[in-house]
Amino acid sequence: MADWDRLRQAIIGGDAKTAGAVAHEAIAAGEEALPLIQKYMVPAMDEVGRLYECEEYFVPELLLSARAMKAALDPLRPLLAASGAKPAGKVVIGTVKGDLHDIGKNLVASLLEGGGFEVIDLGADVAPQKFIDAVETTGANIVALSALLTVTMPSIKTTIEALKAAGVRDRVKVMVGGAPVTQQFADQVGADAYSESATSAVTAARRLVAAG
Amino acid sequence: MNGKERIRAMVAGKAVDRLPLMPITMMFAADSIGAPYRRYATDHRVLAEAQLAVAGRYGFDYVSVISDPAREASDLGARIEWFDNQPPAIVESSALLADKSALRTLQLPDPAGSPRMQDRVSGVALLSAQAGDSRIVEGWVEGPCAMAADLRGVNTLMLDFYDDEAFVLDLFEFVVAMEIAFARAQVDAGATLIGIGDAAASLIGPRLYTKFVQPYETKLIAAIRGMGVMVRLHICGNTKKILAGMGQTGAEIVDLDFLATLAEGRAAMGDSQVLLGNIDPVRVLRDGTPESVTAAFEECHRQAGRRYIVGAGCEVTRGTPEENVMAMARFAGSRN
Repeated sequence: MADWDRLRQAIIGGDAKTAGAVAHEAIAAGEEALPLIQKYMVPAMDEVGRLYECEEYFVPELLLSARAMKAALDPLRPLLAASGAKPAGKVVIGTVKGDLHDIGKNLVASLLEGGGFEVIDLGADVAPQKFIDAVETTGANIVALSALLTVTMPSIKTTIEALKAAGVRDRVKVMVGGAPVTQQFADQVGADAYSESATSAVTAARRLVAAG
Repeated sequence: MNGKERIRAMVAGKAVDRLPLMPITMMFAADSIGAPYRRYATDHRVLAEAQLAVAGRYGFDYVSVISDPAREASDLGARIEWFDNQPPAIVESSALLADKSALRTLQLPDPAGSPRMQDRVSGVALLSAQAGDSRIVEGWVEGPCAMAADLRGVNTLMLDFYDDEAFVLDLFEFVVAMEIAFARAQVDAGATLIGIGDAAASLIGPRLYTKFVQPYETKLIAAIRGMGVMVRLHICGNTKKILAGMGQTGAEIVDLDFLATLAEGRAAMGDSQVLLGNIDPVRVLRDGTPESVTAAFEECHRQAGRRYIVGAGCEVTRGTPEENVMAMARFAGSRN
């Protein structure tokens, strides 16, 4: 495999144009998708997460890198699908019903995607049934629920109860997060993991997948 | 001293009989009179009744018309999602300025002819008539970064900082002109302090804050101070890296969220800055006990020093036990 470190650098630098161009160049050179992702793109987003964690990057820089990651990932997806490569895990993510805030959820989705997960982003103000439908149609193994407001936190509980009632709760691990969400609340509602930050959400998702 | 004298004395650097008490209450206030939040946010008479109720019950030194960030956006024509018993929210997926070119034709609203802005102005007038002699009446406007995010969509604005600087500057010019006019209407109605909420500013780092946001916050604050009233700057979220800039905006009161400590605020802004805050409104004020709330404020006061106003890091949340709010009030009452 040739050295495609320019791809890693473009993602870290938030340069979507270059990231997309390098990905196309690599495809034209006959590179396989999975090694490119594993060797350059996942480490790039890990580094972006680290820079965010230590407050060298902030939300704009993280979103720029996420956009660059997507620009590189889009042309690689068909190759990935054709090769039968499996993602690190499949995550259905959304902000719960009644809550329209999505920037925190978007950061988590971007870092999960950058971490090699397939992410099905249902957006904001998502009804419990939509989570259930998404789990059933995609075969996701993780459901990630976000709430920014104390008044919408009960929707996390409602969603988890709906997953139980629909008989899909045992098929998935549930992660919860958002500014007012605490470990105590996560325990109360029976979530499998709580994350205080976007970067720790990736660690938590990896841990959940490893635990099966 | 009454509340008005107390806050003014603290800002002027004079002695106070006890620490001023200025926690933000919105849903907590509405709940206290059994009003669904939609009524609180849409009917200034309900808001005023609730504000007077909590101020009277807990001895707050001020009353405020803060309710939600959607008033200006709503009057400009943004799509708003309404809920019966929680704050309205701006629908980002159909942001008013999703198409940047729409800014060129956007007209500055006249607060007097704009229903939700006028309702806030009426709230100021009512509170001023009923409590203005003894308490500070706080008007409220969105800060430049928050308002720009409300109109453009916060996710998109974050990328605009890198993709189109000229557009961001034009947008900030527009929103600051609008907020100066909105503040003016509230001051004319009797506001004796204007609060500025600029939550989205905590999402960006110091470089972008200094380049884009701080100059416009400073411009807005200078204009409001020129109207003869005080300014409180509140930025929700983690402001650790922009504290020094916040201290240079000219706001008499800097209200910190709990993610930056008051010690960090003091170190960054110097001894003369009045700091307000900043216990964790969920984990400490709502979920704690009167004893832990008191201990947390002891620590806040120790870190902030003399120029300090008691309050939570952000809104006192719905469901906060009354005895914990009483503990906050007792703490303020026991120190000077």
